Amino acid sequence: MELFDNLLMGLSTAVQLKNLGFCLVGVLIGTAIGVLPGIGPIPTIALLLPFTFGMEPAGAMIMLAGIFYGAQYGGSTTAILVNVPGETSSVVTCLDGHQMARQGKAGTALAIAAISSFFAGTVATVVIALLSVPLAALALKFTAVEYFSLLVLGLIAAVVLAHGSVARSLAMVFLGLLLGLIGIDVSSGAARMTFGVPELSDGIDFVPVAMGMFGLAEIIANLERPAERRVVSQKVRDLIPSRADLRAAFPAMVRGTMLGSALGVLPGGGAALPPFSSYALEKKLAKDPSRFGHGAIEGVAGPEAANNAGAQTSFIPLLTLGIPANALMALMIGALMMQGIQPGPQIMREQPQLVWGVIASMWVGNLMLLVINLPLIGLWVSMLKVPYRLLFPAIVLFCCIGTYGIANSLFNVWLMLGCAAVGYLFIKVGVEPAPLLLGLVLGPQLEENFRRAMLLSEGDFSVFLTRPISALLLGAVALALLAMLSPAILRRRQEALAE
Amino acid sequence: MTRRALDWRDLILGLFLVAVATGALWMTRRLPIGSAADMGPGYMPRVVSLALLGFGAFFLLRGARHAGAAIEPVHLRPLLAVLLAVGIFALTAERLGLAIASVLTVLLAGLATRETRPLESIGFAILLSGLAALLFVKVLALPVPLWPR
Repeated sequence: MELFDNLLMGLSTAVQLKNLGFCLVGVLIGTAIGVLPGIGPIPTIALLLPFTFGMEPAGAMIMLAGIFYGAQYGGSTTAILVNVPGETSSVVTCLDGHQMARQGKAGTALAIAAISSFFAGTVATVVIALLSVPLAALALKFTAVEYFSLLVLGLIAAVVLAHGSVARSLAMVFLGLLLGLIGIDVSSGAARMTFGVPELSDGIDFVPVAMGMFGLAEIIANLERPAERRVVSQKVRDLIPSRADLRAAFPAMVRGTMLGSALGVLPGGGAALPPFSSYALEKKLAKDPSRFGHGAIEGVAGPEAANNAGAQTSFIPLLTLGIPANALMALMIGALMMQGIQPGPQIMREQPQLVWGVIASMWVGNLMLLVINLPLIGLWVSMLKVPYRLLFPAIVLFCCIGTYGIANSLFNVWLMLGCAAVGYLFIKVGVEPAPLLLGLVLGPQLEENFRRAMLLSEGDFSVFLTRPISALLLGAVALALLAMLSPAILRRRQEALAE
Repeated sequence: MTRRALDWRDLILGLFLVAVATGALWMTRRLPIGSAADMGPGYMPRVVSLALLGFGAFFLLRGARHAGAAIEPVHLRPLLAVLLAVGIFALTAERLGLAIASVLTVLLAGLATRETRPLESIGFAILLSGLAALLFVKVLALPVPLWPR
């Protein structure tokens, strides 16, 4: 069995002592920032990028991946104990998880959340292993034409799945594409919109934009709201759920995992979509929907499984096609390129140790989270007592140093400052910055493939429709856009995305 | 006579997009466009900018015709304090060194909220500065001076 050979090879990389160490460091940092509201995995990974420069590629990717899924675990702890989502992905866990905590079942809620996440993580690891090989084989047949159509599909999916207005998100994609065009044009050597700044000739760095718009702008907006944070001050006990609890939670866990795995693969699928959809599904399937919102255990198990499965399967487009499914995966691409590895379909053949090592490490990391997380609950709770007035200046400082450290350039710090101001404007006028980031990252690839496709077809635009795979992909784009315009689906989407 | 209701969020976003698109079109006006089969460096910038211009105009029109949700009031204190904190870091990091720049950044950022207590903030700033120096300069060997040159 090739599948098991691959997984075993990966496992042998993942259980090397130093990689186990990196995995542990990653999931611990991830849980910590997941627990803390107001700092997410994007600024953290951006901050740690310079650290990974001297590491081996496998170790670096294992650690960064650990931060990502570790944050999903941590976010739900805060959601259950404080009723504040530590991460956007754990917003729904607040609904029933916190109710369970108030009924004295905090331990059960935490345990079910952890077990669901572990179960989903295990299944998702197998899903990645199963899908990666055929997808990578398919991707090797891709020419510039198919790549262009795939990138368009990814960008449109980002719009469809984003919160808020479709027109606004589409505009943000184009704004991101424009930013991505900054720099010296590869084929002609002409400087485009560089303002004569030498730092811009290689293009705009992704990290200062992400840190400014996600990290700093969020902090400013957070400070405007009145602070309110209360920890459930009961002792967390009964960490082992009863058999009846498990039996009630298990079907929801399975459904959440399937839903999350499917939604995670979609490019542009944000962190919020899988748990929201799973919650809606569980509520619809329940015999007595009125229990939801009052501590229904399925309302914790389903979304938690969905969010963890989605977090992991969002690695599939990155590993097989070299296309990031979301802003976080774009950072992962940055990390790979810093290591001198060009992401794309060839990565599976050329770097099997790395790819399968990272995949296997996800399962190892999930196991670590299950084992270490529950006993460490006390530590995470005490971290929540660090007041925000101390936390945010520290984040501001680390954002500054981290942005500077990526290229040792003060220009990037100024760029981050500008992006923070623009990000604040975006929050005020109600637009999401995520589509912009995706546009910025995919922009250069989009232009490159578009140019090459046009060169091959001698300027004939119909080539995108006459090649079957490309036509299929663009058909999906058209379908998604048409669906967005139809009023019935528009209404249902608003219901689904409404909190 | 009633005043026509406006959607300020749409109007501001539209204005922003039109401004960005116009700026980009102006900056790339000299780049050769080429043809679809042989694109010049100006082809994509123009396509994308024109699309942005279209979006900007759409939001401006929509904002002028419908009423929308009001923009939440802007609080200047956190906005200015955080931006100034980043600015002071950019100004001082290479001249005065990471140690002093870190203290200044943390202190300025602290001004963003009334909850900050002066003494605690100073102590915390010095602690963070020491930590940052240890982590980034000693462990990671970031090539930034620690003290004024």
